Amino acid sequence: MRRSWLALALVIFAASPPHARAQMYPRATPVPRTTSIPALRALATQREVVERFHLGLDAEVRGDWQPAAAEFERVVALDPPEPQNSTARYDLAIAYANLHRLDDAARQLQAAIARDPGFLAAMANLIAVDLSRGDLRDARAVADRFVASAPDSARALYERGLVALRSGDTATAENDFGRLLHANPAYAVAHYDLGLAQARTNRYASAEREFQLAVDLAPGYARARFALGTVLLREGKRAQARAAFESVASDSASDPALRNLAVAMRDAIKSR
Amino acid sequence: MLAAVIAVCALTFGYGYAGAQSLEAMLDGALVPSAAPALLGPITEGGRVGWACKPEQAAGSGSWQNAELPRP
Repeated sequence: MRRSWLALALVIFAASPPHARAQMYPRATPVPRTTSIPALRALATQREVVERFHLGLDAEVRGDWQPAAAEFERVVALDPPEPQNSTARYDLAIAYANLHRLDDAARQLQAAIARDPGFLAAMANLIAVDLSRGDLRDARAVADRFVASAPDSARALYERGLVALRSGDTATAENDFGRLLHANPAYAVAHYDLGLAQARTNRYASAEREFQLAVDLAPGYARARFALGTVLLREGKRAQARAAFESVASDSASDPALRNLAVAMRDAIKSR
Repeated sequence: MLAAVIAVCALTFGYGYAGAQSLEAMLDGALVPSAAPALLGPITEGGRVGWACKPEQAAGSGSWQNAELPRP
C-alpha cells in the first residue's frame, strides 16, 4: 500500500511540468536510467544538491547555524539552476545572519535577488540585514525596489518607512506609514512611527494624535507613551505630560533606561 | 542615564535658552524609530512560486500580522 503511494507520487512528480519541478527540492531524486557518463554525473550532482539542501534545512530548524551554512555553501558551489539557486542563497543568508556574518548574508541576498528579481522574501531580509549592519544606502535602494514590486505589502511599507525615518527622509516615512495604516488602522507601531515623523517636522498636534492612538491600541506600549509625554511637554501641556511620564515610570515591564528617563522627566516637571 | 540627569538639571534649575536647547536635543534622542523586523524564516524544500511558501507570503501580505512585523 505504502509502495503504491510512493509510486504514484513519483509518477505525479515525473509528469509535472519542468518549471514546477524546479521550484522544489524533492525528497526523492530521479532514478538513473542511462549509461551516459555525463548524464550520470549530472544526476549525481542533482542528488547532492537536494540532499545537502535538506541537511542544511534540518540544521537551520535545529538552530545549528555553522553546519547549515556549510551545507548551503556547498549547494551554492554546485550552482543549481533557478529557483533552487536563489533559494539556497536565501537560506544560506539566514545562517550567516545568525552567525553575525552580516556582510556575507547581504552578499548572498543580493545575489539571490539578482538571479530572481521578484524574490520578495529576499528583499525583506536584505533590508533587515542592511539595517543591522548600518548600510542605509543599500537598505533604501532595496526598499524602493520592494515597494515597487509589492506596493500593498505591509512589510515593504514598514521597512521603507523605517529606513526613511532613520535616514531623515520624513516625507517618505510619513507617506509609507500612512499607507500602511490605511490598510492596518489598528497597528500601534505604525502610529508611533508616523507620530515620530510628524514630531520631527514640529507638527506636534498631529504627532500627539498618532502617539495617543498608539497607546490607546496598546496601553503597555511604553515608548509610545514616553513620546506622547514629550510632545505634550512641547505643546505646554505639562500636567498631561507628567501623567504620561508617570505612567512609563510606574510600568515595571518597560525598558529600564526609558523608565529612568521617564522618572527624571516626571520629577523635573513636578519640581517646577 | 546621563541624558536623564542633564534633563533634570535643565528643568529643575532652569538653565534658560541654552538649557532648553540641550533638553530638546535629549528628548529628540529618546524618540527612536521602532525596531527592524526579525528575519523571515527559511524556505523549505517546497520551494517558492506556486507553492505554499510562508516567507514569500509574509513578504507580500498586506496585513501587518501576516507580515511578521514587530509588536508594540
